Amino acid sequence: MTTADDIFDRSANNIRRLGLKEIPFTESPIALNSETLRCVFTGREGELEKAFNQFQSRDRRRILVYGRIGIGKSAFLLEVLSVLRRKRPKMLTAYISLPSDLDLATTALIAVAREMPDDDWALRQLHQMGIPTTKPMKERTTEASATMGFGAKLSEKDLPMTKAQYATVSLETLLERASEKYPEGVVIAIDDLDKQNPSVVRQMMHDAQGILKGRAWFLLTGHPTGITGDLLTSERGLFDLQLELKELDRETTYRMLINYLNTARIDNECKDLQDPRSVLPFVPEAARRFCQVSLGKPRLFNRLGNTVLSRAAELQEQLITQTVLEECLKVAAPTLLQRAALNVQEERVRILLQQRGSLSDDTITMADLEPLGFRSFVDIVPILERLEEADLAHQLDRGDAKVFAPIPLPPADDEVLPE
Amino acid sequence: MGKKGFGQSEPPTRQAKKFLLAFMRCMAETQEDRDRVHNFFKSHQAQLNESLLEALPLVVQKLTPEREEIAPFLLTFGNSIQQFPLGDRMLNLELSIAAYQECLKIYTRENFPQDWAGVQNNLGIAYHARIKGERAENLERSIGFHQQALQVYTREHFPEKWARAQNNLGNAYGDRIEGERSENLERSIVAYQQAMQVYTREHFLKKWAMAQNNLGNTYRERIKGDRGENLEQSIVAYQQALQVYTREHFPEKWAGSQNNLGIAYRERIKGERAENLERAIAAYQQALQVRTREHFPQDWAMTQNNLGTAYGERIKGERGENLEQAIAFYQQAAKVFSRDAFPQQWAKNQSDLAETLMKRASLTNKIDDLDSAITLLKASLEVAASGTPYFIDSQYRLGNAFSRYYEYTQNPADLQQALQAYKIALEAIDPEHYDRKQIWQALPTTQSILGSRLVRDGRWQEGLQLLLNSINQLSRGDDFYAHANALFQTGKAHEFLSDWDNARLYYRDALRLYEHLKDELGIAQSRAGLGGVLVSQGYLEKGLAELAKAQEIYQHLQKPNKAAELDRLYQLAKRAWEQQLSNEVYV
Ligand SMILES: Nc1ncnc2c1ncn2[C@@H]1O[C@H](COP(=O)(O)OP(=O)(O)O)[C@@H](O)[C@H]1O
Ligand SMILES: [Mg+2]
Repeated sequence: MTTADDIFDRSANNIRRLGLKEIPFTESPIALNSETLRCVFTGREGELEKAFNQFQSRDRRRILVYGRIGIGKSAFLLEVLSVLRRKRPKMLTAYISLPSDLDLATTALIAVAREMPDDDWALRQLHQMGIPTTKPMKERTTEASATMGFGAKLSEKDLPMTKAQYATVSLETLLERASEKYPEGVVIAIDDLDKQNPSVVRQMMHDAQGILKGRAWFLLTGHPTGITGDLLTSERGLFDLQLELKELDRETTYRMLINYLNTARIDNECKDLQDPRSVLPFVPEAARRFCQVSLGKPRLFNRLGNTVLSRAAELQEQLITQTVLEECLKVAAPTLLQRAALNVQEERVRILLQQRGSLSDDTITMADLEPLGFRSFVDIVPILERLEEADLAHQLDRGDAKVFAPIPLPPADDEVLPE
Repeated sequence: MGKKGFGQSEPPTRQAKKFLLAFMRCMAETQEDRDRVHNFFKSHQAQLNESLLEALPLVVQKLTPEREEIAPFLLTFGNSIQQFPLGDRMLNLELSIAAYQECLKIYTRENFPQDWAGVQNNLGIAYHARIKGERAENLERSIGFHQQALQVYTREHFPEKWARAQNNLGNAYGDRIEGERSENLERSIVAYQQAMQVYTREHFLKKWAMAQNNLGNTYRERIKGDRGENLEQSIVAYQQALQVYTREHFPEKWAGSQNNLGIAYRERIKGERAENLERAIAAYQQALQVRTREHFPQDWAMTQNNLGTAYGERIKGERGENLEQAIAFYQQAAKVFSRDAFPQQWAKNQSDLAETLMKRASLTNKIDDLDSAITLLKASLEVAASGTPYFIDSQYRLGNAFSRYYEYTQNPADLQQALQAYKIALEAIDPEHYDRKQIWQALPTTQSILGSRLVRDGRWQEGLQLLLNSINQLSRGDDFYAHANALFQTGKAHEFLSDWDNARLYYRDALRLYEHLKDELGIAQSRAGLGGVLVSQGYLEKGLAELAKAQEIYQHLQKPNKAAELDRLYQLAKRAWEQQLSNEVYV
């Protein structure tokens, strides 16, 4: 007789058979604690250097990190913050994901106040906005993972938050109070600006110029089609550094795979690029192939990694050879599709994309649009972006057109091709 | 006005009592002859005042012993004062209502059910015409009274009175403000059709004709069903009525139905428009042969107003002259339709005049006319009962006037006012109304103009929001041109913000739609915009190609200025491109 416990054991055994304690891949960097992030974070050397150069100055600086969804902006931000925490103990670092309906001043105020659990004034500010200030938060001192946990909570967007009454002034006051304890300054990282309506963000940035040019360091993220496109131009001068994150190259992706696998492998630490054991349970050719299909996109890499390892465990494999990998990748497309839970219209756009091979403002026709019930490309951009979010599509790097293409994945065995 | 403290002015009740007794005597003598009653009121006009209204209930109470006898007099008083065309109409109607209400204290439902029902019917008519108080509320009460009457007047026992009450109920529903207008008109039609089950042509020739005429009115305004078809039905109904209402035998009714027929022809969709308008004008002129200012001032004014509208839309003849004629007709109508005596008619007439002034403004390009139109419309809207068709019309016109005014002033506040007016009109109009689309489309179109203006003024958040809203709405409507234009404007706004990526997206969308519509000018504009953006982004070759195409179309459309304007940009970009090419060679 098999009990649930037995099934659990068997499932754990399947992973263990691959030589792993667990599956190391995650969709969001928020799920990682700072130690793990430090271990898995790979590449971006040039970008990190540019960012840290800014921190060698006494002047407060404003840095914008931009790039497509899933490219690693949040991970980059968190990595920068965790380095600063180690290297600049007298600097206060605050991370927050921009909540909906809040202005930048209030958002920054919340982020900083949460990092000052010993400061009564800061707590009162949070309290007034209806943000719980429980004991655990107070106890949290310099534990980085807790900071990130908060970021995650805020991004849930269901906390009833009220705007701080005099957010700009309150933030000033708070920063002043913080400067006593943190003489090296305050860094405020505001993530996910791109999740807001672009025109709202545009106005928000405009309104927040005073704060942004005030007494704190700012790190902001967005994706280029949202705000950043015109921030780069119309708000010139607002940022001291604009960093675009792009796809990782093949070798970096390979190193990233090594790093992830190393955090989960049982009794087998090996980071040597030349040593085939470094990518176990993958064989090197399969590892290379895996990096190829991940297209250098960290989130796609993580999602595919997850699918491949789960499938391999299910198949009770010990080693992921080329053939096993191909077998595992067959479930990737259906898995992504299933998880995306598309509605009818999104599904129709996806099928059109599949049929055309690519869709862009440059080449789409009325004949393509009309059957979908649309008359303009801008109408389907949100749908295409939704597909991009679900890794069912990606944007090609073209400056003169907005081009979407399907993510090339091996077809599933039983995939019915659209008519 | 009674001067208190000077001399001996009679207490109002005594005066009222005297007046009532005199009226009763007159009634007894004249046996309710209409003309003589009319003369009585004319000679006692000074006594038809507020104090009579106040004193009426007290006096009736004081006449206690004769109470039951006084009831028929009160009823007649109520009826005849309601029809008396002179004096203060608002007051006359209040007097009539007061008399009926006193009457009801005597004619209770238990003791005098039939009389009670009769007074209910009359109250229903009086409330329908009432000027004082909230119009919507008065109409609700009117409907209520007619429904009360129908509780006694059953079809079985009082078929004729039942039919009359149905007819009156039909009238009240036709004007009702509360509830969905389309539904109210359906109810009105049903009520008339009920009435006509009794009022057959065979047995009640005159009543049948009346019901036909009323049915014609409601079909003319009907919202449900095919509009063109409804208007045909309406014309048929009037023509039926006119078979009975001959000029010889029923001159007044004949004139009324001619007037109505004129309206239906003016609105007609089928047939040739120019011809329909001529027929309308002819019918109105027929009506005026009977409806003289002297004898039927109110009807005369109504037909003057209708003539104004027909001339304002007339196709035959010289346009400028027709408009002058139209204005003259409205001014005539205004002589009777004063703000105090006929507020609703006054409001409509003002609003119609404003519409004609706007037409004249587009002919002569004179801003003065727009100015006056706005003033007239605003005044008219102060009085028009909100939610009535005139009210909605006037709001829509005000929106048009303001957006046209903006073309002269370039003041965004004018567009804001236009938007406001369109919004009110849109909220008030029945969702199924045949005019709704017009208003519905005016809104996003104005939004997109205002939006691009605000963006240029640096109010981008507001401006872009308006543009995006308008696109959102227009993308669901069927005005492709307005949609294409809004896309183009949004492209321009983004270009203004140096947001090249979005500018390019919207220009391309505008281009695609204009190409679909084969709109050359739109195509040229969009290509010019797109070319400019591509050049700014550094895609010189692609940009040059777009600019060249745009230039070509402008030439073709005989717009050399536009082409020359583009040429500067073109030459600049071309030089940059050649530079780039030569650099590449040397590298
Ligand atoms: N340089 C990197 N090294 C390792 N993992 C990364 C890196 N960049 C991103 N990731 C991981 O990829 C996933 C998606 O990245 P994320 O930062 O959420 O992207 P974005 O914020 O741009 O949408 C996360 O699980 C993140 O931890
Ligand atoms: Mg992120």
